[in-house]
Amino acid sequence: MRDGQVNLLCKIVAIMVMIFLVAPLIIIIVVSFTPTALITFPPQGFSLRWYVNIFAGNTKFISGLINSLQVGLLATILDVFLGVLGALSICRYNFKGKDILLNYFTSPMYVPSIAFAFVLLQVYSQIGGINGMARIFIGHMIIILPYIVRNTVSVLHVFNWTLEDAATSLGANPIQVFFKITIPLAKPGIVSGAILAFLYSFDEVALSSLLTSPRFVTLPIRIMNYMELTFDPTLAAISTLLILASLVIIVLMDKFVGLDMFMKN
Amino acid sequence: MDRKRRAFLLALPASLALLIFFIVPMVYILVKTIATNGFQDFVDFFTDPFYLDILWTTIRVSLISTFVSLLLGYPTAYFMARTKSRMKKVMIIIILFPFLVSAVVRSYGWMVLLGTNGLINQLLLGIGIISEPLKMLNTEFAVIVGMIHLLIPYMVLALLGVLQSIDPNVEYAAYSLGANPLQTFAKVVFPLSTPGIISGCVLVFTMSMTSYVTPKLLGGSKFRMMATMVVQEINVNFDWGAAAAISYILLAVILVIQLLVTLSTANYMKRMGGGKNA
Repeated sequence: MRDGQVNLLCKIVAIMVMIFLVAPLIIIIVVSFTPTALITFPPQGFSLRWYVNIFAGNTKFISGLINSLQVGLLATILDVFLGVLGALSICRYNFKGKDILLNYFTSPMYVPSIAFAFVLLQVYSQIGGINGMARIFIGHMIIILPYIVRNTVSVLHVFNWTLEDAATSLGANPIQVFFKITIPLAKPGIVSGAILAFLYSFDEVALSSLLTSPRFVTLPIRIMNYMELTFDPTLAAISTLLILASLVIIVLMDKFVGLDMFMKN
Repeated sequence: MDRKRRAFLLALPASLALLIFFIVPMVYILVKTIATNGFQDFVDFFTDPFYLDILWTTIRVSLISTFVSLLLGYPTAYFMARTKSRMKKVMIIIILFPFLVSAVVRSYGWMVLLGTNGLINQLLLGIGIISEPLKMLNTEFAVIVGMIHLLIPYMVLALLGVLQSIDPNVEYAAYSLGANPLQTFAKVVFPLSTPGIISGCVLVFTMSMTSYVTPKLLGGSKFRMMATMVVQEINVNFDWGAAAAISYILLAVILVIQLLVTLSTANYMKRMGGGKNA
């Protein structure tokens, strides 16, 4: 075959890109077991002291983790409610301005999160008295909404609405139709959107770093603050745990929703 | 009209949330900035070489990162679209990782590698290629490397969708009509994949224009891009007017790019004789 060389070239580039993408992550995992404070490669021995340090030291990573989980879960649950209803209104009914409504729902994607963070910061300082968690929660709730709307719409777009009519003609009431037909069939879109939205919130930095208050700090901000003071392998240890958690999530996603749902850009 | 009312009611909660917590604040602060200081903050931005330099740095870093991501991402996506081997699954998992692993963690990996006492310097010193550690961390180079690492997956995903939809038989037809691989690429594959190239480049370019974590962690305190400058104006200079100007200028740049692309792709689709789904 004449295109053999082209394919070989592409294959080499592809493999190099994969190595480039994975290398820093593998190195983090390896150096997290290093016994010395100075990172060397390969590590001179094996130790779990940096993992112990996550829990024992005054890193406050665990309280950061709890805060991040709280904000992420709350924002995701609320947005699943808002986003799924919004997606239904766009896909279920025909009306003028459907495209405009979809653009409206996804508009936070086009706004730099740092600009939105600055705006919220100014509004908060004018209103006053908005506590730690609400400051970040409001921001996250807005910027993750597009992911849920978009993924749900992508499923409802190819939805066979006659199924709903069939259920109704068989005697189901609207609430039964919604929970037994519509929601189960839209589930892959809702679940994949919710996972993406949660992860976005969990990893979010730009917004949180401006809106954070000493009483409520999320995990990524804790890690960045720690980094500025101490650059020891505790960072590698907490990073390794986050990488492993991501691996678990990707395996679960593959099993329950299929990775295709996450590849629609 | 009952159906219309139901659609309205379903759309209401999300619409209200966006209106109250997003649209109104964005407009209100813009109006307030202009009401208190006129357009002075914006004029200052465009007349001060310091700020213009930051804007130019942001554009330069974004252009380089986008270009390299396309250069490396295209062959990768092409290989992934055509291969039937089991490697494809592994590659997809590696590509999907950016959605899952925080930018802080990924930047940390590059800090470990590129630092003065970092692993690359240790290696080069150990072999004896260099006698003094190279300064790689806290430079524009480090930011670009970290940025490409973050952005390639998005580029590959955008290209993969389009390349997978090109029938390989079209390429075989070109070969059998006497085209060489280069001609086949230039006249068949490349034109058919332009929508993916455009959407990938726009996505990656805007992400890089607005990025905060990577320039902050890999660029150091003296390296400034638009997003990091917003935070610096607020936390270090206490100049809220300047922060507002930078925020809204960045927003305007992103919106103009999106608008231009939407208009030009609509045009392109029309010329190609395709409808919405072409």
